[in-house]
Amino acid sequence: MSITPFMNEPALELRRAEVRARATAALEALDARLPLDVPVLIGADERAGEAFDSVDPAQPSRVVARVQGASAAQADEAVRVATAAQPAWAERTHHERAEIVRRAAALLRSRRLEAAALALRECGKPWAEADADVGEAIDFLEYYALSAAALDDGRPLLQMPGERNALRYVGRGVAAVIAPWNFPLAIPTGMVSAALVTGNAVVLKPAEQSPACGDLIVRTLHDAGVPRDVLHLLPGGDEPGRALVAHPLVHTIAFTGSCAAGLSILSEAAKVGPEQGHLKKVVAEMGGKNCIIVDADADLDDAVPGILKSAFAFAGQKCSAASRVLVHEAIADELVARLKGAVDTLVVGPPEAFGTDVPPVIDPEAQERIARYTQLGGTPAATVDVPEEGFYAAPALFVDLPKDSPVVTDEIFGPVLSVERVRDVDHGLQEMERSRFALTGGLYSRSPATIAAVERRAPVGNLYVNQPCTGAMVGRQPFGGGRLSGTGPKAGGPDYLLQFVEARSVSEDTVRHGVLG
Amino acid sequence: MATTLEPAPDLAPAIDRVGRRLAAALPSGRTPKALAERALMGRLMDDPALRAAIFRFVDVRPACRDERDVARHLGELLAQAEGSALGQRGARMATRRTTRAATAGVAALGVRGMAHRFIVGEDAASSVPGVEKLWRSGAAATVDLLGETTVTEAEADSYAARCAETLRTLQAAAARWPSQPLLERDAAGPIPRVNLSVKVSALTPHLHPNDPERGIAGAADRLRGLLRVARDTGAHLHVDMESFDTREAITELTLRLLSEPEFRAGPSAGIVLQGYLVESPDHLERLLDWAQARDAEQPFTIRLVKGAYWDHEMIEAARHGWSSPVIDGRRACDRNYEALSRRLIDATATGKVRAAIASHNLRSIAHAAAYADARGADIEFQVLRGLGDDTLKALVADGRRVRCYCPLGDIVAGMSYLVRRLLENTSNDSFLSAQASGADIDTLLEAP
Ligand SMILES: Cc1cc2nc3c(=O)[nH]c(=O)nc-3n(C[C@H](O)[C@H](O)[C@H](O)COP(=O)(O)OP(=O)(O)OC[C@H]3O[C@@H](n4cnc5c(N)ncnc54)[C@H](O)[C@@H]3O)c2cc1C
Repeated sequence: MSITPFMNEPALELRRAEVRARATAALEALDARLPLDVPVLIGADERAGEAFDSVDPAQPSRVVARVQGASAAQADEAVRVATAAQPAWAERTHHERAEIVRRAAALLRSRRLEAAALALRECGKPWAEADADVGEAIDFLEYYALSAAALDDGRPLLQMPGERNALRYVGRGVAAVIAPWNFPLAIPTGMVSAALVTGNAVVLKPAEQSPACGDLIVRTLHDAGVPRDVLHLLPGGDEPGRALVAHPLVHTIAFTGSCAAGLSILSEAAKVGPEQGHLKKVVAEMGGKNCIIVDADADLDDAVPGILKSAFAFAGQKCSAASRVLVHEAIADELVARLKGAVDTLVVGPPEAFGTDVPPVIDPEAQERIARYTQLGGTPAATVDVPEEGFYAAPALFVDLPKDSPVVTDEIFGPVLSVERVRDVDHGLQEMERSRFALTGGLYSRSPATIAAVERRAPVGNLYVNQPCTGAMVGRQPFGGGRLSGTGPKAGGPDYLLQFVEARSVSEDTVRHGVLG
Repeated sequence: MATTLEPAPDLAPAIDRVGRRLAAALPSGRTPKALAERALMGRLMDDPALRAAIFRFVDVRPACRDERDVARHLGELLAQAEGSALGQRGARMATRRTTRAATAGVAALGVRGMAHRFIVGEDAASSVPGVEKLWRSGAAATVDLLGETTVTEAEADSYAARCAETLRTLQAAAARWPSQPLLERDAAGPIPRVNLSVKVSALTPHLHPNDPERGIAGAADRLRGLLRVARDTGAHLHVDMESFDTREAITELTLRLLSEPEFRAGPSAGIVLQGYLVESPDHLERLLDWAQARDAEQPFTIRLVKGAYWDHEMIEAARHGWSSPVIDGRRACDRNYEALSRRLIDATATGKVRAAIASHNLRSIAHAAAYADARGADIEFQVLRGLGDDTLKALVADGRRVRCYCPLGDIVAGMSYLVRRLLENTSNDSFLSAQASGADIDTLLEAP
């Protein structure tokens, strides 16, 4: 599969005043339309459900969407409609489906600021991050459209005289997509479009915290030409999610979220019910406890801002975010002093302020969890005051905590960073090796031999050298980890679509009465 | 003024005359050291892999703990210069036990030597002799403090304190220098002897590309403090321009502070305009409008440069999918520089603006000099220490006002500056490397 003409969607050039003015205007336009209505969408029908609100984490009194939460019965109905519709969808060529997905990219591009504004309001994503979220969603659509078109050709096989051999890829059936809120547009778009473009029907269950973003994605794909009965939306919490995972007609479960939820999905999906004639496949992207190793020869002028961004951008709510720094003891004091001072400069505030470094976290549960961990760490070496209103969590830096401190071992998913001294890079690698997670990792070093050694030995799915360990780009840094970080698909990479297809091999004997056909 | 954007054909003979005169006044550069250096620079230009390896080594050298560490890094980096015979030979020397220590020693000395060529001293006191020597030879200086990237408030405080101390140290020393009428007065009035260039990015950790106001708020008090020290010591304070990400904050901050009533009487101050920016013509108009409307006793100096972050801006824009903020094409960039020079020189007629032409490009310099001569304008030329030393001598010999930009700081802090200058000096697109590789004078003075 060669994917040549792909280019990433350009980011908004927010360093220009006129671009910022347009962004702010788009947010004002969105605010005037709030709250949005998000129904359960089954086929062409908008259904009511158990109503709940999706609120702005920076100002919880602002309701972003009035949402209809789907029931288990509605999940069942959606899967059945999808099951009926899937064969016709799978009959189309990859090319035809790719055209539709590419149209969705164009539509999303035309609503770019509006979509970013929605991610900003619903999930508290600062402008640059919200914009990157839309850009990545567009990238997924374009990239998977290109990848799918290439799937039509199958793979070359050995051909013997009198034999025609072919390998084709076909959709698996109905895919349930269970998506997180931290990339409320990009991640669901990626999983949904990968499943759709390969010939699967899809039921999307967006995160409880980002239903309006899920609704925007589904409508964009419908508007682009995905048949209504091929793509369904089930807003809500656990109930529709559980129902989907357990459903006997679901073939593929694409999940991105916490490790605990991922493990429970994996075990639930392994059960084969009476109505079920197939094995379910789970594509899971789970957590991380990501380390950045800083060698003695690192350029701290790069390392300090890089670490700061990796750990505290979007309040650390990325599975790729750095939460541990393993620094060579020879420069540890200097790094710690500079990091402390740098943490003090962090600006915590609302996502619409262009200078915000650390926005609120997603909800009160996250706030409490982070506060609990921060308490377990004792007195932080550096922390920052946060606004009263809104779900803010204070950024915290810990230094030299014991190895078994929960701050060092658990995924906190918040703006908390711990710095540990190591004897050398080798020692740092051993620490990385001990972790149950293996998602991203970072290295700051100016020695080619050290870089090569870490590249060889670091167990992580994504290693970043002399740069922040977040912000993977589609087609450039295929994303996903091993161990308890996931089942190992690489989103935005050349192999991702293979997760959503079955390969069928056909061999025909073309010899008739001794004549080669 | 639309006319300044037109090429000036009648200027051609004068440009040629001034250019040839300056070229003739350039020191011959035949000292053994100069020849060796030229040979090295030539070699680096022809061997991009080696060039990259050497620059990486220069960059990491101050972070190496001991000789062994120096040798290890040198060996690894040179070994990466695949296809460079010289690089491979060096790599072997740096890794073999018998030659390791010597190679590391020479390399470390080499970096130190190069650094000293560009850096006037480690601190304010040790820079005084170099600056005084320049003054006695007929050239003024502007001193720039090198430092690490500012990521904390403490670092910003310490940079500001070093700047203030430098102003005072130089002021005390300058009082004893002999008079140099050309350097101390121009058509617009007296010119301070002491001149300091400051970087706003070093004055705050809050410069943020998407929020200029945050950087402005972060740096305002410290820059205001330095303006006061400059005013009280009678020095000139010049605000450098940095990457495009920070341009809006730096410009806005500088103009706002200089508009404050307390700075009406002084100090003498200025800013930089980067001619490689696509929008530099509009930007110049904005600066000129502001200077024209400003109620101040001292003129506002605009240092016109091409811009030191060309590669960075191109890469950054390409990575994000943005159209480049810098002009792509040497000739177009040089043409724009000439148009800006004319506009700026014209503007000096009001007495509210001073023009400083900062370039090592003989053609750019000759063009500005010829145009200023034709207009009867009194302008200043500026060069960088280590890169423009010969140009400086030629300009002094030609009776022109020249200022040398002199960085000071320790070798650790100086590294990124040093690497940038070396890259510039060995870039195939640079005037200096064309000159060094022996291009003839007609080519060098060709209209862009
Ligand atoms: C006293 C002094 C102060 C300075 N202060 C600053 C400052 O505050 N901020 C700052 O940014 N720079 C500053 N500079 C550096 C200056 O911007 C130039 O980098 C340097 O002087 C080289 O330009 P030149 O005219 O001497 O040489 P030339 O060889 O004529 O020009 C080289 C310059 O052309 C441009 N260029 C190179 N390749 C291309 C291309 N392919 N297309 C278009 N343009 C290209 C780049 O700007 C490059 O630096 C200063 C220089 C001096 C002498």
